[in-house]
Amino acid sequence: MTKTTQTPAEPKAKGKGLTRRRFLQVLGGGAAVLAVGAVLGGPTLVREGRLAINRVFLTGSAPSSPPPKDPFVWFEINAANEATLYIPKVEMGQGIHTSLAQIAADELELDWQTVRVRQADASRGFDPQLIFTFGSTSITALYQPIREIAATMREMLRTEAAAQLGVAAADLTAANSTISNGSQAKTYGEIIAAKAGAWVIPEAAAPLKPDADFKLIGQSVKRVDLRDKVTGRAQYGFDMRAEGMVYGAVARPPRYGATLKASGEGDARSQPGVVDVILREGFAGVVASTRRAAQAALSHLDLTWEGGTTINQAEMEAMLTLPKEGGTLIQREGNVDGATGTVIEANYFTPMAVHAQMEPQAALADVKTDSALIHTSTQAPGLSQERIAAALKMDEAKVAVRAAYVGGGFGRKTGTDAAVEAALLSQAVGRPVMVGWSREEEMQQGYRRPPAANYFRATISEAGDITSVHHEMASGDVLFNPQVGASGGFLEVLLGTDPLAAYGGLIHYSLPAVRGIYHRMEIPVPTAYWRGLGSFPNTFAIESFIDELAVATQTDPFDLRLKYRPADDLGRRYELVLNAVREASGWGSAVPEGRARGLATCYDRGTVVGLVVEVSVNESEINVHEAWCAVDPGLVINPNGAAAQVEGSIIMGLSSTLIEQQTVENGMAVGNNFNTYPLLRISQAPRITVLPINSGDEPVGGMGEPVIGVVPAAVGNAVFALTGQRLRLLPLTLA
Amino acid sequence: MELRINGQTYTVASDAAEPLLWVLRDELGLTGTKYGCGLGICGSCTVHVDGEAMRSCSTPLSTVEGKAITTIEGLATVEADGTETLHPVQEAFIEEQVPQCAWCMSGQMMQAAAFLSNNPQPTEDEIIAAMNNNYCRCGCYTRIKTAVALAAEIAEERRA
Repeated sequence: MTKTTQTPAEPKAKGKGLTRRRFLQVLGGGAAVLAVGAVLGGPTLVREGRLAINRVFLTGSAPSSPPPKDPFVWFEINAANEATLYIPKVEMGQGIHTSLAQIAADELELDWQTVRVRQADASRGFDPQLIFTFGSTSITALYQPIREIAATMREMLRTEAAAQLGVAAADLTAANSTISNGSQAKTYGEIIAAKAGAWVIPEAAAPLKPDADFKLIGQSVKRVDLRDKVTGRAQYGFDMRAEGMVYGAVARPPRYGATLKASGEGDARSQPGVVDVILREGFAGVVASTRRAAQAALSHLDLTWEGGTTINQAEMEAMLTLPKEGGTLIQREGNVDGATGTVIEANYFTPMAVHAQMEPQAALADVKTDSALIHTSTQAPGLSQERIAAALKMDEAKVAVRAAYVGGGFGRKTGTDAAVEAALLSQAVGRPVMVGWSREEEMQQGYRRPPAANYFRATISEAGDITSVHHEMASGDVLFNPQVGASGGFLEVLLGTDPLAAYGGLIHYSLPAVRGIYHRMEIPVPTAYWRGLGSFPNTFAIESFIDELAVATQTDPFDLRLKYRPADDLGRRYELVLNAVREASGWGSAVPEGRARGLATCYDRGTVVGLVVEVSVNESEINVHEAWCAVDPGLVINPNGAAAQVEGSIIMGLSSTLIEQQTVENGMAVGNNFNTYPLLRISQAPRITVLPINSGDEPVGGMGEPVIGVVPAAVGNAVFALTGQRLRLLPLTLA
Repeated sequence: MELRINGQTYTVASDAAEPLLWVLRDELGLTGTKYGCGLGICGSCTVHVDGEAMRSCSTPLSTVEGKAITTIEGLATVEADGTETLHPVQEAFIEEQVPQCAWCMSGQMMQAAAFLSNNPQPTEDEIIAAMNNNYCRCGCYTRIKTAVALAAEIAEERRA
């Protein structure tokens, strides 16, 4: 690994994160500008206000809830000196239970062999909103707070040990879950067991240990959850069981937006195994003794659906045609209209795709008269709690949501449908009800990655310099999905964009003139969060077009990116990443016969990424043989875990690059199981080399998503180098 | 109907047409075997029937009566004193840190274990061919290749 900076003894105070308060201040300021603009009838002010607000959304980190200050809420140590760490993020395969635990254990000086990790929840005093696991933000949001809380507990133990031993605290050191001065020692467990009276949490934050003393941070500590996962013991939402449990299934609309006009029981109630039929306004469900019986009985209901969309694929793609008039300005550097030179234009298109996480969404609900307990596979226990409480017409405080292990998230487990359905059915029958969606329900009735189009018009001077890039993007929504995101007037008017679909749409290269315009397309097909949000289509388009400009200016793709690398520290990080991946991939050296290499890079969620792939083509088939990926999130907590995230992003990105697309016909998605919507297989996976880079002394970027968007661009660029065909539509298909 | 699963005998009341997957999960509480597609495509539900890998989501109960069924819960060996010895495949999957979410991993490991029992010293191409009908959405494929090869080595060492 590359370590390029000196390690300071004391990590500096952190001010980079966007606090909820700061976020609201910015929004308020933007709203004021927009309101003034609207009152004065000034489109200029509206434009300027939106530019400022979108900038915050596209460059700032997400607001996060404050973590509890009491260390004993986080860390339990019993008399046998075994530690239990409660981790307020959901484990969905990204290894977060391990990486957050190793940060805490390092700062608290725990013996790693004694550490056990448990999912934190509201019953221990953790705000469900804090547990929301999204946006590759878990490490950047919690690195500093967890260290401070762990350091505070370490110092409390040291002070208490001094009192119990009758020695000076300054002479005591903490290591391996023990406090000692060389001659006398007490384990943490003994200190806690012998403590008389209540612990007092000091006002002042305890000093953090010097980075040079790290024992676990930066190490490839093995995952804490794998023993349970390889033996089948780990329990996911779909695995939750309760005494007297029955199974629920819910009727689905034949077209998006269709509503249940009328419903009757038909002969559903007399079907084998049926316990109850539950009909409500706009809702029809069956509860039965087995899952199959519940699903089979649905077809015996007497249902009349009304309305909804009949949109088909061609109509949807026509909505995304670019360039367009209007739109919302999201980026403006220099004067694009004043730029001159040879004009180069290109259009890119990214289709809809589903998450296809291997575990469909599922929940077990036990709803009593005055309380509800729901176990579910969720990234968002807080949102689940809100939606369940609203559906049950119950006080939120009486609804407890427990996040189980998640069998793949990728944004899809922000959905709350299965949990709400299980809760409604349980309330109706007075028994615990399990709802686990079928693959077909999951692929058609959930939400999906929106379709997106990108248009570029660049100018190149006679000297071969890029003088301007004009970029327009059109996309279905990500944030403004009423099921899982924000809905309604104010924010939509304020922004003029869907900021999460526009994510990744800023061009970070230092160019004389750049303009970005976003066109919000409200398509009648449910779309929302998918790994990387807008970064996937936007990085595909930008990094492919940059390659077009490299070809047009006859510049090596690495040299072009270095020439226009961002100013200041980000440029330094681009250099580190580009140089690392250039060297590792042997860029410029001979490529095996019939193969070519392609490059793409990006700056996403604080992380700088460089990816080189090596491809061949066999008639119409594109094969990816090798991938080298350098990633710089500032500081890597667990190199092997980080590598796993990179490998996974490359594989999932390749699946979208080469295979996946979901279309819509007559108002419903086509492709509802793996026979009609296949995924990438092991035989199509390249060899992958990951180069984790530490460009600083703290984690400033995420790892779960930043790599996904460069994959289609690097592959497309390699295919161009090999065949001369520029492929601008996903999945990439050779002519 | 009587079923022999992981060396134990269970009496089940399910319909003969019921897929083995849902009997395991919902009637017997053996939830280590996972649902993925219901079509026998993704491989998440793979179990062993008389030592061969089978897709339990598309295996009717009637076809497995009297046969020896092994699920992920029965892959490791448990001694009389409760000591659990992982199967070489399980050990290798931990050693190589293969699983991410791990929903597909019971199926991956059952597929790999059955394959290695028939082909104890496979080539990389044979491993890829054997594992090619098991989806992993988290993208653990490169590690699966390495781990199956390592599992073969571990098994070889244990035999020695």
